[in-house]
Amino acid sequence: MDFYLQQLAIGLSVGMTYALIAIGFTLIFGVLNVVNFAHGEVYTIGAFAGLLVVTTFAPPLLAVLLAVLAVGAFVGVGLERLAFRPFRRFSDEASLKSRAMRESTLMSSLALSIIAREALEIAFGSRFQSVPVAAMINQPIALGPVTITNGDLIILGVAALMLIGLQYVLRHTQVGLSIRAVSNNPLGAKYVGVDVDRTIVWTFAVGSMLGAVAGVLVGFYYGAIFANMGFTPGVKAFVAMVMGGLSSIPGAVVCALLLGVCESLSTAFVSSVWSDMVAYGFLIVTLIFFPRGIFGGARERV
Amino acid sequence: MKTKLFAAAVAAAAAFAGSAFAQDKPVVKLGYQLPLTGNTAQYGQDFRTAAEIALARFNSAGKPFKVEIVFEDSRSDAKEGVAIARKFVDDKAIVGVLGDFTSGVSMASAQVYKEAGMPQLSQTASHPDYAKISPWQFRNITTQAQEGPYNADWMKARGYKKVAIIAEQTDWGQTVVSNFADEFKKAGGQVVFSEFFNRGLADFRPLIAKIAREKPDAIYTGFFYEDAAQFLKQMKQLGVTIPVHSTSAAYNQQLIQLAGADAEGMHLTATFLPSNPDPKVQDFVTAWKAKSNGVDPGQFPAQAFDAVNIMLAAVERASPNPTREKVRDELAKTKAFPGVTGETTFGPDREPAKKLAKTVVRNGQFVAVEN
Repeated sequence: MDFYLQQLAIGLSVGMTYALIAIGFTLIFGVLNVVNFAHGEVYTIGAFAGLLVVTTFAPPLLAVLLAVLAVGAFVGVGLERLAFRPFRRFSDEASLKSRAMRESTLMSSLALSIIAREALEIAFGSRFQSVPVAAMINQPIALGPVTITNGDLIILGVAALMLIGLQYVLRHTQVGLSIRAVSNNPLGAKYVGVDVDRTIVWTFAVGSMLGAVAGVLVGFYYGAIFANMGFTPGVKAFVAMVMGGLSSIPGAVVCALLLGVCESLSTAFVSSVWSDMVAYGFLIVTLIFFPRGIFGGARERV
Repeated sequence: MKTKLFAAAVAAAAAFAGSAFAQDKPVVKLGYQLPLTGNTAQYGQDFRTAAEIALARFNSAGKPFKVEIVFEDSRSDAKEGVAIARKFVDDKAIVGVLGDFTSGVSMASAQVYKEAGMPQLSQTASHPDYAKISPWQFRNITTQAQEGPYNADWMKARGYKKVAIIAEQTDWGQTVVSNFADEFKKAGGQVVFSEFFNRGLADFRPLIAKIAREKPDAIYTGFFYEDAAQFLKQMKQLGVTIPVHSTSAAYNQQLIQLAGADAEGMHLTATFLPSNPDPKVQDFVTAWKAKSNGVDPGQFPAQAFDAVNIMLAAVERASPNPTREKVRDELAKTKAFPGVTGETTFGPDREPAKKLAKTVVRNGQFVAVEN
């Protein structure tokens, strides 16, 4: 029994790391209706930025997070400018509705993500960077039969803060209202005077801030910061987003937790080689049986 | 437009002059297939650094010919490896090939070299079947057929009766498990748990919890240093204190940097210790440190350094006018080659005989131990 409790705790902590990434990912998808393939690299850049800050100044974690938030916002705005804005240069109705115009950003964001990853590899090499022990957030905490770490608590706190904060921003601020308007109907939003371009830039800034913070937290949690680190979590976050119904942030978070728990528990019964199949299995099952996400039904976007 | 054309013409002329100048000495080409991008790029990049050190020394030693190495990025992908092998085979100037990094890619490419008759020397492919593919395949790393039983006897001698084994899910990982388990059972030990995982697994904790449930006396592991660091850190995180043994694949200074205090007490075998006072070793360590920010080389760069030198020596013996056949025959004659990973002699099966050292991590250092 203790064994299963421990596996459950591990699963929740893994799921939490997926949820951290999925939040920003889903926010951007919700507004643009297109996958931002560079989100994994924003996550990686966040981790590297955090590592650089820690190795140069060794500040407390909160200061590192603030610095990484700034880097994330900067990267997000740059990403939008380079990979997304050029494909919105026509604002007539046909272009705005054109799937081809929108989906070409799949390629441009993928291209940018490859460039960013290779650049990091050239600059830092592809090996794991060593994370100073003092910066790691993996001090064990024994809770009866189960062992968790201080990192689990920090990640839980940050994820909860992100989720609640984001809901507040989306419902009670001007920026949030325009993000919701654009995600519901960009053309309609434009006609009632919402500055669509500005809103999209804001979305990228906020989504990338969340992505960068996720990167630094997970990087310090596992002590594994390397150029390729964004790929696997990106896939898991993508699956969680699809399972959650593509544009529902709370749905993505719940599904991320579910995914983590199922992966961890699956290891208890089958070889761990198969635990990666859990994510892909969920993806296939969702697409076949729950094309609108496992919570189903019509939901408000974002 | 005119100036551009003129510049191009000048550049072409310069290039022509340059190549004519280089042809003062005959040039012999070698191919090196290795991962320079992707998940295993760190290993391939280290191989290239080691190869460049070896090559620079060879070319500045006043030999009657010059050697060039053509590096091709296989990304540790068997399809890429085969494509590179075809390219090397088609280049008539290439008389020998080094690489690849993994056993899987080396063996896939080996089929091409076998058909075309190209000598291939891998610094790291340690799958037992690799050298059996054809008389053209050589390696200078000890295989699990030697290392597995050696470790089994060592762990038995340390008094462990129940052992759990984990290894990465690759051709190499399979041989880690089978070679160790066969000998350990023969010696009267018990393997209570055996499982594979995907290389680069982010979270080992579900697996560690599963191992701890079996309560083994020790864990024998087949993984490389990055996975090793993650595994050791997460064991500590879960409060699991079972002793860990591993193969020479985990032997790398980076392991200690990444895992810090959590690496203390890990036992493993190695063929190369940078602290070895042998002047050849110290010479290589100094040259390596100058090229990589003062970090000590691990075993793999040392393997690559030796492989390149063994190949260069074979090419030199096959000169003048080395052909692929002559280089192969000379490689096969390699005897007591003094390298940084000990002396290498190829047996009739083209397998190297090497001496293994028992080491343990103590106070942030790999130190040799008797038992």
